Amino acid sequence: MTDAIRSKPTGLFGFFKSLPLFRRDPMVAADPVTDRALISVIAIMTFIAAMTAGAAQFAASTTARWQVLMASEVTVQLKPQPGRQIEADIVRASDILRGTSGVTSVRVFSRDESAKLLEPWLGSASTIESLPIPRLIAVQIDAQRPPDLAALGKAVSDVAPGAGLDDHRNWTKRLGRISDLFLIASLSALLLVLSATGLAIVFATRGAMAGNREIIEVLHFIGADDRYIAAQFQRHFVMLGIRGGVAGGLAALFLLVSFRILGSSALGLLDGNGVDGLALPGAELLFATLLVILLVGLVAGLASKITVHRTIGRLA
Amino acid sequence: MTLKKTENSFQIAANRAVGDLVRFENVGLRYGVGAETLADVSFSIEPQSFQFLTGASGTGKTTLLRLIMQALKPTRGMIALFGQDTSHLNKEGLTSLRRRMGIVFQDFRLLDHLTTFENVALPLKVQGREEITYRAEVTELLSWVGLGDLMHVTPAVLSGGEKQRASIARALVAQPELLLADEPTGNVDPSLARRLLRLFVEMNRSGTAILIATHDLSLMDQIDGARRLVLADRRLHIEKSND
Repeated sequence: MTDAIRSKPTGLFGFFKSLPLFRRDPMVAADPVTDRALISVIAIMTFIAAMTAGAAQFAASTTARWQVLMASEVTVQLKPQPGRQIEADIVRASDILRGTSGVTSVRVFSRDESAKLLEPWLGSASTIESLPIPRLIAVQIDAQRPPDLAALGKAVSDVAPGAGLDDHRNWTKRLGRISDLFLIASLSALLLVLSATGLAIVFATRGAMAGNREIIEVLHFIGADDRYIAAQFQRHFVMLGIRGGVAGGLAALFLLVSFRILGSSALGLLDGNGVDGLALPGAELLFATLLVILLVGLVAGLASKITVHRTIGRLA
Repeated sequence: MTLKKTENSFQIAANRAVGDLVRFENVGLRYGVGAETLADVSFSIEPQSFQFLTGASGTGKTTLLRLIMQALKPTRGMIALFGQDTSHLNKEGLTSLRRRMGIVFQDFRLLDHLTTFENVALPLKVQGREEITYRAEVTELLSWVGLGDLMHVTPAVLSGGEKQRASIARALVAQPELLLADEPTGNVDPSLARRLLRLFVEMNRSGTAILIATHDLSLMDQIDGARRLVLADRRLHIEKSND
């Protein structure tokens, strides 16, 4: 079958060719090179947009998880005080903590464990043995029914002077701010990518309409109205947009899911305790990617609609 | 006041044109600031009539056809189509008038990326009809013009005569009330020209008014009773039929 002689495809191939996504547009004389270039540009844009959305979603959910983790734990720090037995103060403070409603577990860090925590800054445990090392008590609290932290801090410092309760509020706030900034940056990048996609569609639509000027004139003469002609061009470019969007979106989804699978095991190996606290992309990612594809389709539709209606009047 | 009077006279002329498919009243056309290409052109085309538009090359035959198909606006005068003054025509009105006309272009104007079938079916498709509703009639029309075996080829493989027949079939498929043909036999041999002319005669017998622009005298001689609209010196002269 030559290009000049066409018959309708049959079978499974024919079925796919008949779907709107793959169907040939009968009115718009497609330029395969331009169309492929436009699909590639849209696919790349969608890929970047989907990766940005995926990264934003990953950052947001990880931060949220970290914030929950941080909010469900408080730390009591006991500084050595002159004239006081720190071990006795630790026991008294632990008793108060264990007896408080809303506290789910209390873990006292031994002197060796505390020294180990300071090792990166102060050197080996033997070097810092003679130093007055502060001692830590990690306290898990019920996030749903937390205890009165101010009262708890006061009760602890009453029995163990020099003890302080850190509820990590400052860190949680900072983390929240960083997360918000990252989200704003991601959304801005998404907006820019969508704008660039829109501009690519506008220029491609203009080019196609100029190239199809003769066809538009003939269509007018045989009784086609502007709405019909505009719909042909719009459909052509929305379909190109969706094809590019699906290709770019699927590539991004594949990469992000690969990150999840490979990242889980890699992080699990690096961190002996696994990846607790890291919210790697999941079902929300699929939703975010689909949303990006939909947005690209929407932008393609809007950009071509506006361009077609503006250009068609001039050509008519 | 003068403007109002002029508008009224146009409306009166348009009302008089009810019944005529085309009516020109003192139409003049000037391109840019030069002399008028057409001056004081007045004529009408009645339903089911057959006429030739003739004249030497460059006398304005194609320009006159373009005025009828509303591709050009006159500089002066009034054009009424299907009883409607076209001076205040909006886009919807223009589309609806064009759907009552069939046009055969001198250079065929077939869409190269469509098959013969798709090209011929185009006027029906743009009216929103589904292929299932017109497939049989388009196939029949293509057989009638001798293109039944070339339905699924694109214009690239058609000869000049075949393209011309496809173009004529496209103009006829929506059964227009008026058919405008610009040099429809200009690219074909005399034998094919006679066959194409027979197609127009058949269409005329079935109720379509025909206006063929040609400078081929032998072609005009083949149709008895056809009016001749002759363009010369920017003006139109109407010659009586030779029957």
